[in-house]
Amino acid sequence: MTEDHLTSSLLIGLIGGIVDLDSTATWQFMISQPIVAAPLTGLFLGALAGQEALGLKLGLMIGTILQLLWIEQLPLGMNVPPDAALASVLSVALGFLAGRDFDTYVEREVCNTVALLVAVALGLFGRALDRGIRRLNTRLESWVTLRLQSGKASWALAAGHTLGGFLTFGKAFLFCFIVTWLGVEPLRAFTRSLSFGQNTGFIVIQGLLPAVGFAVLAGMCIKDQRELRWFLSGVVLFTILPTSAWIGWLIAGIAGARILWTQNDAV
Amino acid sequence: MEASASPLFGRLMLFQIAFRSFFLQASWNYRGMMNMGFLYAIQPALDKLYPPGPARQEAYSRHLEYFNTNPYFASLVMGVVLSLEEKYCRGEIDADIIHDTKEGLMTACAAVGDGFFWDSWRPFVAAAALTLAFGNFLLTPILFLVVYNVPHLYFRFRGVFWGYQLGTDVIKLLKAFHIQRARLALRYATIALLCYLIPNHVNLHTPFLLSNLPLEYFYIGEKLVQGIGAALLVGAAAAGYRAKIDVLMISFLLMVMALVLYHWGILI
Repeated sequence: MTEDHLTSSLLIGLIGGIVDLDSTATWQFMISQPIVAAPLTGLFLGALAGQEALGLKLGLMIGTILQLLWIEQLPLGMNVPPDAALASVLSVALGFLAGRDFDTYVEREVCNTVALLVAVALGLFGRALDRGIRRLNTRLESWVTLRLQSGKASWALAAGHTLGGFLTFGKAFLFCFIVTWLGVEPLRAFTRSLSFGQNTGFIVIQGLLPAVGFAVLAGMCIKDQRELRWFLSGVVLFTILPTSAWIGWLIAGIAGARILWTQNDAV
Repeated sequence: MEASASPLFGRLMLFQIAFRSFFLQASWNYRGMMNMGFLYAIQPALDKLYPPGPARQEAYSRHLEYFNTNPYFASLVMGVVLSLEEKYCRGEIDADIIHDTKEGLMTACAAVGDGFFWDSWRPFVAAAALTLAFGNFLLTPILFLVVYNVPHLYFRFRGVFWGYQLGTDVIKLLKAFHIQRARLALRYATIALLCYLIPNHVNLHTPFLLSNLPLEYFYIGEKLVQGIGAALLVGAAAAGYRAKIDVLMISFLLMVMALVLYHWGILI
């Protein structure tokens, strides 16, 4: 392992720690959403290698897919969703660091796709770690309550509360550092072991994966048969219309504005 | 509307509390959930209200009880609680009123806040951002953050002022936002964006068009195959999602299907 790889791993640990703090513990500006966390990681890694644009584009591509896959996951009450923030950071880190050693576009894309799939599994592991931190916080809470009830240490609240945040940061930092430190080489070896035919198969997967996210979003938004009919007509319309996001935005604006002006709050 | 007789807390204190509310969930735990975060946020105000001693200790214990709500609306609850603590300090109400109001308000704010932010605003802004991201627009993350955080920061900072100034009347103010109507509008706008995204951004290519279609019809043939194929795929995945199959399992099945179709030469 080179010094360069150590620097990259530490950088990924730091980014992972910061974006994981945003996912539930603090701020919640949504830096932790894949569409932000992944490009951010790509940008910093790219800057380290003098390839900012390449890193940013990779981050955007991976972030788009992960955003769709986990769009329905909500941190409600006791529910701890898969750690989309860590998955985003790690998929870009593994894809970028493993892929830059390959000359061909196809091999680099395979690294990205495999990294994305591995990171999805790591996101689930991240959820288990999150639950562990919350259990530690429960012990901290008991300690703080005892201290405050004894009336001797009002500093205990600030100390306990801040320690909770540090635990979240520390967990994410270590997890991202270790996975990046150890994960790049096996990913390279796996990609080298594939034939050209298998490689292009992975690119087909990458193209189809957004369908799952679209399905989830449609499942969340469409509530009845009437809306389903409108939705299908819309899909047919956009199949025929020229590919332009502006038309999508225009129709979305009209649909939203129509509801705002015509409906009352009884709906 | 109820207003505090002589407000004890100035703008600076309320800003400090709104700022501390950003750390509400740092010590989220299974017993009291956001309780430590809540007490941490309002601690400076309690310290100003009560001198060191049993009254302050009692106030701390009061707010170490279970607390869970939407984090963006928590500052609103904090504002209301401060106005009640002030009244309690003056002997106008008893402690049970603080407990009951806080509990009722946190439930209402959780319903309104989660429904608006998690269920409507975030999916809409994400779908809108995806339309740009698929076009490789590199400023997408910044736009996403800016647009998403406008209502977040507005509620976070104004919430504590509204809560403190209006007390329990803050519920009337929330009604003025027509949250239900806004949610419906956002849902319809998200569906419209999806109608654009599905036929244009699921990449599905087959070699049969190249070999069987004259070149002048290739573009429209490709668009039709992509649109119909994407709609079928999304339909199948949505059926799985409605049948409560895990999203990761659906993704895995899709990957296997893609590899099989690629192996048979149906997809390229």
